[in-house]
Amino acid sequence: MEQKLRNEAKALLEEGKVDYIVGFESGSLKFTTTPLITKDKNDVGRLVVNPFIANNLAKFLTELKGRVGIVAKGCDSRSIVSLIQDNKVARANVVILGVPCEGIIDLSKVEKLAGRDRDEIGEISRQGDKVSVTVDGQKSAFPISDVVFDKCLSCELPTPKECDVLLGEPASPIGQKAAGQADIERLKGKTPQERWEVWKKEFSRCIRCYACRNVCPACFCQRCFVEETEPKWVEPTANWQDNLLFQAVRNIHVAGRCTDCSECERACPMNIPLSLVNRKLEKEGADLFDYQAGTDPDAKAPLATFKKDESLGIGQ
Amino acid sequence: MKDKSEWEPKIVGLLCKWCSYAGADLAGTSRRKYPANIRILKVPCSGRIDPLFILKGLRLGFDGVLVSGCHPGDCHYQTGNYRARRRIAITKKFLEYMGVQPPRVQASWVSASEGDRFAEIASEVTKEVTEVGANRLFDEEREIHGAKTEERS
Repeated sequence: MEQKLRNEAKALLEEGKVDYIVGFESGSLKFTTTPLITKDKNDVGRLVVNPFIANNLAKFLTELKGRVGIVAKGCDSRSIVSLIQDNKVARANVVILGVPCEGIIDLSKVEKLAGRDRDEIGEISRQGDKVSVTVDGQKSAFPISDVVFDKCLSCELPTPKECDVLLGEPASPIGQKAAGQADIERLKGKTPQERWEVWKKEFSRCIRCYACRNVCPACFCQRCFVEETEPKWVEPTANWQDNLLFQAVRNIHVAGRCTDCSECERACPMNIPLSLVNRKLEKEGADLFDYQAGTDPDAKAPLATFKKDESLGIGQ
Repeated sequence: MKDKSEWEPKIVGLLCKWCSYAGADLAGTSRRKYPANIRILKVPCSGRIDPLFILKGLRLGFDGVLVSGCHPGDCHYQTGNYRARRRIAITKKFLEYMGVQPPRVQASWVSASEGDRFAEIASEVTKEVTEVGANRLFDEEREIHGAKTEERS
């Protein structure tokens, strides 16, 4: 798959079909990958495809001018489709190099299971539905569902639906949509006061670094309401009230465009379970508007359109 | 500190300029009585209402938020209220999930000729918000650098 990607990327650059290639290269830390954005065809040899390509590269599309060839997993391709729907990116200007995804490995989960730091782990490799981890020359195997990101467990679209080149055989989902609803159902069983307490506790940890917003492909406003000073909607200091207001409003703003790529949660330095918020909103969007974000580039985002004869329980 | 029996809710009404605001005006000019608990803010269109306004209202300590615009099909700008409807519907669902009691966020359609209807809605909303009680969502004594400060909301 990696070689095919390199060949495709090289051909695209040589033929002038794209100005940039956006993909992954090996990171400076063991097992990690880092985004590679290049115009140079000699750089394509650095491109990698492995179970550690965690970033959602769609974020870069709105920042690059010109035609872009972009590596996308199933979830990333949905973010790209969302951007196309919002006219942030023209379909003709993107060449999607689709990676059928078999689940992205969460290094912190592996560390926890192996009881070692990532530097002390010799090798992590995938065999079928097991992941074998080598520590001090000793191999131990873990089921894949124990080491992938939570989002992968509820992912039903691992193979990019919208892509120009598919770099491998379509992957079968390792997750089920319902898996992502279990913790939401648990929350729903509580009283409103208890739920509010949960969020209060979670968001009191927020340090308002805005990493969640900055990493979000759906957050592309030139100017965000949190930075407005006239009127000042939220205090810039991190107190739980304004943190909660910020998170709630940010998530409503991306409702219908959020594809639950969970980049916000991954970027959060305080480990706030942000996907609990946007997974719920994704579900509400699906229920209210019969819509799944990022699956059809010709559809309109649900909050950018309407039906005349729906009541949605508003007004008597 | 007021006695609990004396407590009256404060509700912010986000009313569209063309219909609901005029409706509220008509309620006044036709001398219909409605509770003074509703503080009215005029917006150009219900489509102008960002979910942020609703949350900010609650953050500022309003006990309820009433959103009102033209009846579907009557929007001065053709489609503003259709869009508002979707936005408010998802906001209501979401805030319920966050733990805001549903009666705190209300939405209705009132036309410029429906002064009576506005008065009715205002009374109903006030009654419902009174039932759920004061908005203590964002209240809290919290500690800053070891010293306790009272939250000013």
